[in-house]
Amino acid sequence: MLLEIDNLTKKYECFTLDHVSFSLEKGYIMGFIGKNGAGKTTTLKCMIHLASPDSGHVKILDMDFAENELACKQNIGFVLGAADYYLNRKLSTIADVTRRFYSDWDEAMYRDYLNRFDLVETKRVKDLSAGMKVKFSLALALSHHAKLLILDEPTSGLDPVSRDDLLELFQEIVEDGEHSILFSTHITSDLEKCADFITYIHDGRILASEEKDIFTDRYRLVSGSRDSLTDDMKKLIGCREHHFGIEGMIHKEDLALCDGLEVKTPTLEEIMIHIERKDKKEGVTE
Amino acid sequence: MIKNLLYKELRLATHPTQFLFLSFGLMLLIPAYPYYVAFFYITLSQFFVTTIGRENNDVSFTAMLPVAKRDVVKARLLMGVIFEVLSLIIAIPFSFLGTFTHPSGNEAGIEANPAFFGFVLIMFAIFNLIYYTGFYKTAYKAGKYFLAASILMFIYIGICESLVWIPVPGLKEYLDTMNASMMIKQLPILGAGILIFVLGYFLTFHISAKRFEKVDL
Repeated sequence: MLLEIDNLTKKYECFTLDHVSFSLEKGYIMGFIGKNGAGKTTTLKCMIHLASPDSGHVKILDMDFAENELACKQNIGFVLGAADYYLNRKLSTIADVTRRFYSDWDEAMYRDYLNRFDLVETKRVKDLSAGMKVKFSLALALSHHAKLLILDEPTSGLDPVSRDDLLELFQEIVEDGEHSILFSTHITSDLEKCADFITYIHDGRILASEEKDIFTDRYRLVSGSRDSLTDDMKKLIGCREHHFGIEGMIHKEDLALCDGLEVKTPTLEEIMIHIERKDKKEGVTE
Repeated sequence: MIKNLLYKELRLATHPTQFLFLSFGLMLLIPAYPYYVAFFYITLSQFFVTTIGRENNDVSFTAMLPVAKRDVVKARLLMGVIFEVLSLIIAIPFSFLGTFTHPSGNEAGIEANPAFFGFVLIMFAIFNLIYYTGFYKTAYKAGKYFLAASILMFIYIGICESLVWIPVPGLKEYLDTMNASMMIKQLPILGAGILIFVLGYFLTFHISAKRFEKVDL
């Protein structure tokens, strides 16, 4: 197992990361989804002790993170959003500093990523667009043969072409079966394209962590006329009434209750919207 | 690891005033001046490093690197200490030159002799302890602790400068002179300064690192 997170807990005044557990094997891409404030970034920060967890364990390559912090970090490429540091420094200066920290720094690989991302080293960080800043952060994170890439919102700020290029790159990286990527995002369409696994965090708790296809197959979207709304339909998740009728989501096993309604398989985005809508309406969680 | 972090501090985090203020040892050539002020500037430049680092999201850059949080504190503190020691070393020739430019001595404060250098080392120890341990409570709030450290440093400077006015026979002659034989007798004060400075560094590091480890970045 490349990454194992076991009961990671962190209490803040107004938010609790509540016994977060999930794992990721070598060779896969895991999408970490949840709405803003659900605890995605907090989980990632607690994982690598940027925020100290109150309890729980993290293992990377079967090493306990707390006991082998530096060895674990050598095997991680961590990108916390776009490069928004040392704005007046040249990319070459920042790379010169960064490369010294990694025993496996691969200069040729770094140069390849600079070319691939059209990054000019003599530019200063402040001269880069938001998307280019993300690319620069990625180039640094990808150039030391990290086994696990932990990326927080790597695709936000990128144009569709760059996003697609990046997702393709992610797939290339995991192809050898040795590397894995955990990336948080709220752009779920990115995950439709490339994720093998989905971990869904909601209000600090993990609702699901499983194969993407199994996860999406758990639910069905149903829609129909208002007359078809029966008591049984209380089971509808995030049900919404509108002029043309009703639409909501239901667990696949409850599908028999929705006889006569139009049924389709939801996208990740639709699942997320319905679950979050349900919570907002009813004040309960799955 | 510390070597790499020191390199990072040098290439990315140092502030130009740190190098500029190193030259303030020149102030020891001024015939009438409270020489402690020349070294106060070195502490001011460390405040700049912190605030500029904050503006440049130093923490989010450092967070990416494969380093332990306590080593981040150690490198920042060590860099500060290196500049403090360098400022004193650079000032030594000017303290001797001063005996030629104003042979009658400093009219406004004690002479830049070994006792003075010992007192300055203790001043640095006070600054390091108050400023860094305070800053690393949050890794964000710097101004409050620089103000606190500055007030304490100026009270300390006031006390040091007042020592020579205490009516104890021979005290002024012992402390406020560039006389070679007397300067040798001042070496214990310099030694005490070095000892307090070194112990202060370890204490400052211990407290700051412990506090920074608890900070959620």
